[in-house]
Amino acid sequence: MTTTANTRKLTILAQDPSVKVNGAIAFTRVDIPAEVLADGPTGYRVKLVDFDASANVMYTPRRFGPDPKDQDADPYAPKKGLARDARQRWEARVLADPAFHAQHCYAVVMRTLARFEFALGRRVSWGFEGHQIHVAPHAFLDSNAFYSEADRALVFGYFKSARTGQTVHTCLSHDIVAHETTHAILDGLRDGFTNASTPDQAAFHEGFADVVALLSVFSLKEIVAAALQGDKPLPAPRGHIRLIAKARVTRKAIEDSILLGMGEQFGSELEGARANALRRSVTLKPDRGLLEQPEFQEAHDRGEVFVAAVMHSFLTMWSSRIAALGTFPGNKYNLDMVIEEGAKAADNLLTMAIRALDYCPPVDLAFADFLAAMLTADAETVPDDSRYHYRKVVRESFAAYGIDPPQGPTNPRTGAWSAFAGSADITYGRTHFDSMLHDKEEVFRFVWENRRALDLDPLAYTRIESVRPSVRQGPDGFFLRETICEYVQVLKIFGAEVQVALGIERPEGMPTTQSITAYGGGTLVFDEYGRIKYHIAQPLRDGKRQSERLKYLWESGELDQPVEARSRFANLHRRRLI
Amino acid sequence: MPTKPTSASIFAYQVGFGDCFLLRFNYPANVQKHVLIDFGTTGLPEKVAKDHLLLVAQDIAQQCNGKLDAVVATHRHADHISGFATGSGGPSSGAIIKALNPDVVVQPWTEKLSLAEDALGPKGSQGFAHRAAARNLNQMQQAAAQVVDALDTHPRRFSQALAARMRFIGEDNISNVSAVKNLASMGRKQVYTFHEGPSGLEAVLPGIKTHVLGPPTLRQSEAIKKQRAKDPDEFWHLQFKRLAAGGAQTGFGDPVFPNHVVAKGTKLPASARWLAYRMQQAAQEQLMGIVTQLDKQMNNTSLILLFETANKKLLFPGDAQIENWSVALSKDKYKKLLADVDLYKVGHHGSLNATPRSIWGAFAKKGTAKKAGRLTTVLSTMPGKHGSEQSKTEVPRSTLLMELKQHSELHSTHTLGQGVLFSRIDLAL
Repeated sequence: MTTTANTRKLTILAQDPSVKVNGAIAFTRVDIPAEVLADGPTGYRVKLVDFDASANVMYTPRRFGPDPKDQDADPYAPKKGLARDARQRWEARVLADPAFHAQHCYAVVMRTLARFEFALGRRVSWGFEGHQIHVAPHAFLDSNAFYSEADRALVFGYFKSARTGQTVHTCLSHDIVAHETTHAILDGLRDGFTNASTPDQAAFHEGFADVVALLSVFSLKEIVAAALQGDKPLPAPRGHIRLIAKARVTRKAIEDSILLGMGEQFGSELEGARANALRRSVTLKPDRGLLEQPEFQEAHDRGEVFVAAVMHSFLTMWSSRIAALGTFPGNKYNLDMVIEEGAKAADNLLTMAIRALDYCPPVDLAFADFLAAMLTADAETVPDDSRYHYRKVVRESFAAYGIDPPQGPTNPRTGAWSAFAGSADITYGRTHFDSMLHDKEEVFRFVWENRRALDLDPLAYTRIESVRPSVRQGPDGFFLRETICEYVQVLKIFGAEVQVALGIERPEGMPTTQSITAYGGGTLVFDEYGRIKYHIAQPLRDGKRQSERLKYLWESGELDQPVEARSRFANLHRRRLI
Repeated sequence: MPTKPTSASIFAYQVGFGDCFLLRFNYPANVQKHVLIDFGTTGLPEKVAKDHLLLVAQDIAQQCNGKLDAVVATHRHADHISGFATGSGGPSSGAIIKALNPDVVVQPWTEKLSLAEDALGPKGSQGFAHRAAARNLNQMQQAAAQVVDALDTHPRRFSQALAARMRFIGEDNISNVSAVKNLASMGRKQVYTFHEGPSGLEAVLPGIKTHVLGPPTLRQSEAIKKQRAKDPDEFWHLQFKRLAAGGAQTGFGDPVFPNHVVAKGTKLPASARWLAYRMQQAAQEQLMGIVTQLDKQMNNTSLILLFETANKKLLFPGDAQIENWSVALSKDKYKKLLADVDLYKVGHHGSLNATPRSIWGAFAKKGTAKKAGRLTTVLSTMPGKHGSEQSKTEVPRSTLLMELKQHSELHSTHTLGQGVLFSRIDLAL
């Protein structure tokens, strides 16, 4: 039992039951926000309901009595010093207990949510009306797991292994739980990212969820150790400094270790029910032409390019941090320091990726926009990048996969969004500073008043999607206070009107009566004085973007198709298997 | 022996939701050659006799004067092969077709080893892949049978509308052993083919080049993905196994933690009921998702045949969807061939996914009624059986139907009057 003022520790699987370190399944204890829990667990953001629709029964929940000792207990905390047989019996007992599954899910969901709230400096809502997300850890017999907006739920299936005959639970995979939680959070942060749009936006939801899942897992030291061991065991902790040869921690050696060891174990229990995002991201070699190739137009494959760009950034960042460590005689490093640097690199990169969301346009997101957003977000909180050159590493890794900051709205030197240059034309006088920090109506008045200066289309229906204050602390100790506002413009037109309304040609074969929904919009970042700092816009009349989007949707048959709130992600994940 | 056909007739039989096309090629000196492409249904037209397929078979026998030169079974879905079933006694449509003694029976490569377990497949690892795929097809059909069984044994657990859709697709995917065996045993020669493989039809159709555009083999699929990291799990043929395994396990079962059950479905605590109800619905939709994917995978084993005469091209793609088309479409020579297709059998009864825009867009001869020599399309379908308008997946898809009507000479079986057995399309060659 460990409780501090704001956090508590709970035991989870570091990744899944197939990932082992020195022969033992990797469990870990993670910090999550402390709260008084009800049975389930049910807390202020999560409600576990262990109902199995295939068997039509409910399983024993993880129970919490009113006694503070019950509340703080972590009955699944691994016991140290167990002999191999005893350890294996303990592992089997824990994995066969649905209450542990419930605890694991609860802790991973809360940890992921807390990670977003830490990075963004504010509370983060789910993508539906309500405060608590349902989690069904054994929802039904099916090798699928997904976020369902309609059910306000994360849904995890189970299935029987064709190889071992044992039941495999998707809820026991840390990365899958984190991935699905990210969908729910991203849906809350950026509702427009699930609109039918360009290939990049379709790929982004999956790619970003994979990035958060992988970096969350790699921010755990147990996983970093598993990644390093490859097919050679690491020295066991013996109370003194452990050393590892320099040759084993070069960038290439780490890549090889991941592929030989954890990359194979990672998710292997799922027997292909999920793509192995880790292995793919390491094996997909840099190529600036990848995104142009036909096989990378499909959302899942395209998302993997994005994940590979981020994971290659991570490996380079980790290597740079290792290189900055002192060596011991015989060209050796302190193994625990190497592991810690890996976890830190993953954690820092995860923070950069999450913060980037605030600097993304609200519609028609391209990977290039996300890169500019990432560089901007990091430069805002960490202006001095001279120690590990994170931004340079990220920019180069993305460039190696053909993703460059968009030309025009970014600073060519830094790759970050250019500061808003139209301040002289903006009218601030008719709105109130205090209301502008939280009130959508006030922000709408401001946007409408300044529609010409902001290059809005007055014919479209315009609405404010969100107004969110953001407070972040930089490494220099100072706080960065900003207000992030998103506005979206929606224009419903027919095929015959694309030239007049959007300034583009109608795709070949499209009837004049074809119904089309076009989007524009922007993210306004206000500084602590209420002045526009950035205007990250996708204007409605951006002919090039609208033309590409329309062509893609028309040719893929996705134009104006109905969206099902339950099956959207379920089908997406199932298609990923096919 | 005549060397070139002078004209052709296509008989599109009204079989409801299914396909049945008799192709007749006329040669000089009153020589005729007949090829039957598919014969099956999963939903007969309204007000027809139960033995409607028997009548169709008898008509086929009459039209071809008691002799079929070839039979093509594009894939093993019931709506394409149920007419080949022989039944347990009495006259059957399958027996009539068998008696027409086709010289050659053409099927996709995926059918080969499901029929002959003693390995008639190609040599080496590709042969292994064939066997694995064939086994997986069987597993998929078992999965479909289990789904239909679940609908029968747990009717209260399904909404009526979803159950009807699920049953329709599920039953289409259930193995039709009688039809499969009959197809395997009829004809003097069996050809199991693949993209750029032999059609087996040149010998029986002089002067006609038959291009096999699909389905691709495992290696051919791999070739177009050569830029990808080597990962055999990626290829869609191998996904059969995973899908089959998943499908076979989906449905209803015993609790996975029998010692930890605290409440049964009828006695749930109030706090759990809302989500439990939602999960029951979600479970049904998952099952529907699996059945739909089974259906799609099977569609993608379809043969895609392009008959090329001296001046006409006739395209019969079965129910192939984009994954099947992808290998042919990756090659310029086939794009060129497809550009001047004269007659197109609309894929998968007019569904949204079986006429990809990239293919429809490539047909240069489509155009309004004023266009000389415009594209002819032939569609065998029956509305109200497959998909839903709400989800824009109804078959035939209304937008596709409109496009076919506007930009081609459309012949559809669903507009034929009651009692009309077929639509006949004549082409000068």
